[in-house]
Amino acid sequence: MGIISIEKADRLFWLGRYAERVLTTLVAFFDFYDEMIDGDEKAYRTYCKKIAIPDVYKSKEDFQQKYLFDGQNPDSVISNMERAFDNAVVIRGELGTYTLSYIQMALDVLKGEGGKADAPAYDLQQVIDYLNAFWGCMDDQTEDEECRNIIKCGKYLERLDLYMRLGYSAKAIDKEFSKFENRLHRVRLPYRRENEDRLREIISLGDGWREYEKEALEALWNLFEVI
Amino acid sequence: MFELVDHTENINRLLARYGVKFGIYKNHEFHEQLFPFDPLPRVISAEEFDFLNRGLSQRVNALNLFLADVYSEKKIIKDGVIPADFVYSSKGYLPQCEKIVPPGKIYSHISGIDLVQGKDKNWYILEDNLRIPSGASYPMIARELTRRAAPATFSRTRIADNRNYAVMLKETLDYVNTGGINVVLTPGRYNAAFFEHSYLAERSGAVLAMPQDLLVENNKLYYRQYGGRNLQVGAVYRRLSDEYLDPLCFLPESLIGVPGIMNVYRSGNVAIVNAPGNGVADDKGIYYFVPHMIKYYLGEEAILKNAPTYLAFYEKDREFILEHLERLVVKDVSEAGGYGVIFGRDLTKEKLRELAEVIKAEPRRFIAQEVIDFIDLGIVEGDHEVPRKADLRAFVLAGKDTRVWPSGLTRFSRNPNSFVVNSSQGGGFKDTWVLSR
Repeated sequence: MGIISIEKADRLFWLGRYAERVLTTLVAFFDFYDEMIDGDEKAYRTYCKKIAIPDVYKSKEDFQQKYLFDGQNPDSVISNMERAFDNAVVIRGELGTYTLSYIQMALDVLKGEGGKADAPAYDLQQVIDYLNAFWGCMDDQTEDEECRNIIKCGKYLERLDLYMRLGYSAKAIDKEFSKFENRLHRVRLPYRRENEDRLREIISLGDGWREYEKEALEALWNLFEVI
Repeated sequence: MFELVDHTENINRLLARYGVKFGIYKNHEFHEQLFPFDPLPRVISAEEFDFLNRGLSQRVNALNLFLADVYSEKKIIKDGVIPADFVYSSKGYLPQCEKIVPPGKIYSHISGIDLVQGKDKNWYILEDNLRIPSGASYPMIARELTRRAAPATFSRTRIADNRNYAVMLKETLDYVNTGGINVVLTPGRYNAAFFEHSYLAERSGAVLAMPQDLLVENNKLYYRQYGGRNLQVGAVYRRLSDEYLDPLCFLPESLIGVPGIMNVYRSGNVAIVNAPGNGVADDKGIYYFVPHMIKYYLGEEAILKNAPTYLAFYEKDREFILEHLERLVVKDVSEAGGYGVIFGRDLTKEKLRELAEVIKAEPRRFIAQEVIDFIDLGIVEGDHEVPRKADLRAFVLAGKDTRVWPSGLTRFSRNPNSFVVNSSQGGGFKDTWVLSR
């Protein structure tokens, strides 16, 4: 077991969350963007509602620009990527310079594309590629198992949260919950077992889980005691 | 070597990928910048390095003896080699460090000595940095990348491998470690040299610690682990200034220090690398006396020369400075990072008069040096090679032995009319190759 301070445990966890947030929301964005090309131009409103971010956009073009590239917008993809980087850069020792470089490159693509991405689903594929490379590299090269488990706790918690909000299938949610529990039981992060038990009960209902969506999300958000 | 030029863009792209940056504050805002890299290295022959090795080791040994003396018996003052006033009025002299004997009796474990090579081929010491000299990480990672970009160059030419710096650093920390882990203490993410802190920690196997990660208990220093027991720390490679190190001992308003760490250090329960209080020995005023120290402590003549220096503190020197102000470079001893350096030749008559008045009013604050006409090194600018002023920061590590890292940070000015090479002033860097035969 490695040497991990409280500060670093926090950084590892939040790196997992932000990196996953960028990855999953970009993939979801592409789906909504596709709809907006020749279908519902206001589909972004549904998207904002689903992931519970303020709809401050005037049009699909405004959404495309500000949601992706506006660093002043705290909900934008680039802001989330910045936060992933801010957490990653202080745990270089745990991640390794090589693994960290994928976070750096994903951020650099977003910064470089800002304002000129007329085909975002094409241009930002590289961000997704770098983030997937980051996850693979992290799994392969981060020596300390505890570090890997904490990052993945953050990752799967974020993924579960977004999958639930974005309406993914009960099967997909069940699969991600299993992955989350697998990591949760291997870290020393203090958490509320009763929340985990309740989540398991709700998710095991299959499609019926939606009746308890609000309760499930609250159980997830309050699962950890300090982080 | 010119294969490297073809790969300049690729190498700089890789440096960006690995986050090789330094931070700078402008208008109270933090900005991170890439440190511009020039692919043409400074090349030092094996014979020349042997000479530098002897001269730099000699200098650092004398400086360590001076620090041990000045915080204990003060023989050098009593014997009239250095005026007491010069020591006690130095901002770097810390009375809180009196009588502390650090582990291994080493004060300056990692010294960054800045040199230039004159057109007469002589090397001149410009200044000693004995507090928290930075820069070793840049040529380390640049070498890693240039070897990838131009392998044939490194097959043909026998160049001392500089990637052993992390091993040298670890050995230095281990030598003074009092029992426990080694940590690199960084003030945090928004420090100008944060890349270096995190990279050196990673490479040397030390734990990168933020101030809040450390705590003092029972007169020992611990690293707080999450969800478990705390780990004792045996050596702290601290990368924050003395005055912020311990709010109970120095600046009480410091939020980035570790309360109580000085007591632990005073008790011999942790090594602090470099030792607090070293600023008294790298003061620009004390620099004048280093050749005297070498003679005093080691009974030897200094192998490496100082740049000809005048102390405004001495009346005779002051008169000389005031008479020749237009040809000298004047340095404010309390400044660093290329700030407070004034070239007389760049001033109008009125500004020269103003400077003369300030020197007369505060003579202890200034030194003046002859401008060394140091050699230019070629850098690549577009498709051309152009000459630019460059210095060398050599790293000397003192542990079981005193050793000079066979490389160094060569910094250059990107401005053709400037002698100021500091990264904070827009300078770039080169690798430094020491030929191994």
